[in-house]
Amino acid sequence: MSEATTTGPPQAAKFDYVAFIIRAANVGGLAIIILLLSTIIASLAPGFLSPFNLFALTRNLAIDTVIGFAMMVVLACGHFNLAVGSIGVSAIMATGYLLEGLGLPIPVSILGGLATGAFMGWMNGMLVVKTGIHSFVITLATASLFFGLMLILTKAEAFRNLPAAFNVLGKQRFWGPYSSMLFVTGFVAAALLILFKYSVIGRQILASGANPLAAEMSGAPVKRAIIVAHTLSGLLAGVAGVMVTARLAAALPSVGADWLLPSFLAPLLGGTLLIGGYVSVIGTLLGAILVTILQNGLVLLKVGSFWVQFYMGITLLIAVGLDRWRSYYAQRIGLT
Amino acid sequence: MKKFNFSSLLAKADWLPILGVTVLSIIILSFIAPAFLTRTNLFVMLRILSVTAIVAMAQMIVIGLGQMNLAVGAIGGLVAILFGGMMEVYGISVPLAALIGLLIGIACGFINGALIAFTGINGFIVTLATMSIYTGLNYGITESIPFYHMPEQLIAWYDSYLGPIPNIVFIPLVTATLVALFLFRHPWGRYILAVGGNPAAAELSGISVRKTTLVAHTVSGTLGALAGVVSVARLGTAEPTIGAVWLLPSFAAPVIGGAVLAGGHVSVVGTMIAVVMILLLENGLFIARTNPYYMDFFLGLLILAAVVFNRWRTIKSEKKEAAVVIGEKV
Repeated sequence: MSEATTTGPPQAAKFDYVAFIIRAANVGGLAIIILLLSTIIASLAPGFLSPFNLFALTRNLAIDTVIGFAMMVVLACGHFNLAVGSIGVSAIMATGYLLEGLGLPIPVSILGGLATGAFMGWMNGMLVVKTGIHSFVITLATASLFFGLMLILTKAEAFRNLPAAFNVLGKQRFWGPYSSMLFVTGFVAAALLILFKYSVIGRQILASGANPLAAEMSGAPVKRAIIVAHTLSGLLAGVAGVMVTARLAAALPSVGADWLLPSFLAPLLGGTLLIGGYVSVIGTLLGAILVTILQNGLVLLKVGSFWVQFYMGITLLIAVGLDRWRSYYAQRIGLT
Repeated sequence: MKKFNFSSLLAKADWLPILGVTVLSIIILSFIAPAFLTRTNLFVMLRILSVTAIVAMAQMIVIGLGQMNLAVGAIGGLVAILFGGMMEVYGISVPLAALIGLLIGIACGFINGALIAFTGINGFIVTLATMSIYTGLNYGITESIPFYHMPEQLIAWYDSYLGPIPNIVFIPLVTATLVALFLFRHPWGRYILAVGGNPAAAELSGISVRKTTLVAHTVSGTLGALAGVVSVARLGTAEPTIGAVWLLPSFAAPVIGGAVLAGGHVSVVGTMIAVVMILLLENGLFIARTNPYYMDFFLGLLILAAVVFNRWRTIKSEKKEAAVVIGEKV
């Protein structure tokens, strides 16, 4: 992507600065689009800024962002995880079973749900590494496998009698209308930022995505990085699952089937590359904000929920197209 | 030279193991389940096969190019409801409506191909977006209400015979044959596989990667549309949900059949056998009166087992070839 034909040391220093501007332009562009869009929606639909709507919006945003993060961490090493939805629903049902079936305390149940997600992600990672088969195929198969296993074990029956305290997590607000679940998302985002910026394993994941061979040659444990990325993806799918359970106050086996599109939308809108090697945590967050506001706005403007998917697709095309054009333009005026 | 021919022969018959498993499953099923070989059951299976085979072919062509078409089901669904709508609302005759439906599929596939070829955006992202767009159009137009009144003529055609062969056998066989002829005999088909094998080398040998991408996606869209039309004939209604669950089988069949996701190598025979295999699994579980939930689990297991086996065989044959090369002191 950014290959500067450096001739001397000063150029190398300048390269970082320029790359920062280019990346900031992406994030800034998204922020401007979000501001414009919310202004338009707020002026057309007065209900947009009502406390009730803001609560619903931030609650969806909190969950969609984590779903996006779950995909982003595997995209970091150039992999896919089509099983995000299946892992999410498995974590949901595991949490529900531990709470209702076994009557365990809430923290233990949540940990159990997260562990289920992480374990499934770890299995994906192991399968990808041990067989050397493309993660798209592996996770396509395990998505079916995990979902089937969940259905077999639960007989597709929901857990609806969860303790009331669990639902409090989903109902809590701060600063008036905002959903407290944003704190969970914020915590996850901060952790991922630190992981990919400062931690060794985070850098190794990115290196494995940028060039697996080069990473291997420079001594990075590529296989371990890939397994960690997949495990993390499963864990985050589990986090999203637990958040959904708290929101619905029930563990439903039908959740997760429609996670595929949002899981890709947020990171791709945010500038994360499919080929791996570069992720943007802030970008993914902004991508999720854009998707959530657009979705919410279309419903408020009475465009009809049937057209929402249509506009989501158009948005993805335009955003990725603009990004593409921007990087071409940047190259033409010699910024990279 | 002799050794090369031998290995290429082996490579060409890489569908033999799954054929063996499929035949074995048929024998076992026919022994343990008397209901299996009945005419009714076979017809039920063939009706499903008539759609799934075309869906698998639609995906296989793009896999041959080394890309993916996530929008196959969305194109099928959109064409299905437009096809049904044209006949029910506007009273357009069946052949004309089918023709227009196919043209819409061609247009959808062309849009996919053009977006990928001329913007340089990854095919996965483009077809993810157009999947959303085409599905959105489908639901926006129908508001998820099916068109129920399909002409008798259409259903009669679907259930009719061409000589001794029922149309439901005829449709997937002809499609597969045409796809095989296209991929392995037609220049554009060869270009698709060449680009899938090595885009840079193909471009250097004078093949336009852009045009090839356009052709592959257009053909894929056309086949997706055909699957949509056949679905309407099979179900007797034009339902907006047609195509919603095609994603998994569309990838499962070519991949079990030995296709390499990186492109350049696909097997029409293998894919067709894999379609039958998936169908047998579904049918076997149904006859055994297991819970339908088991289907997802076992399908996942089947895909995993098949790809792991394919992978293992590839590694083994590579090792063998390497040994041969070392033995000949090249």
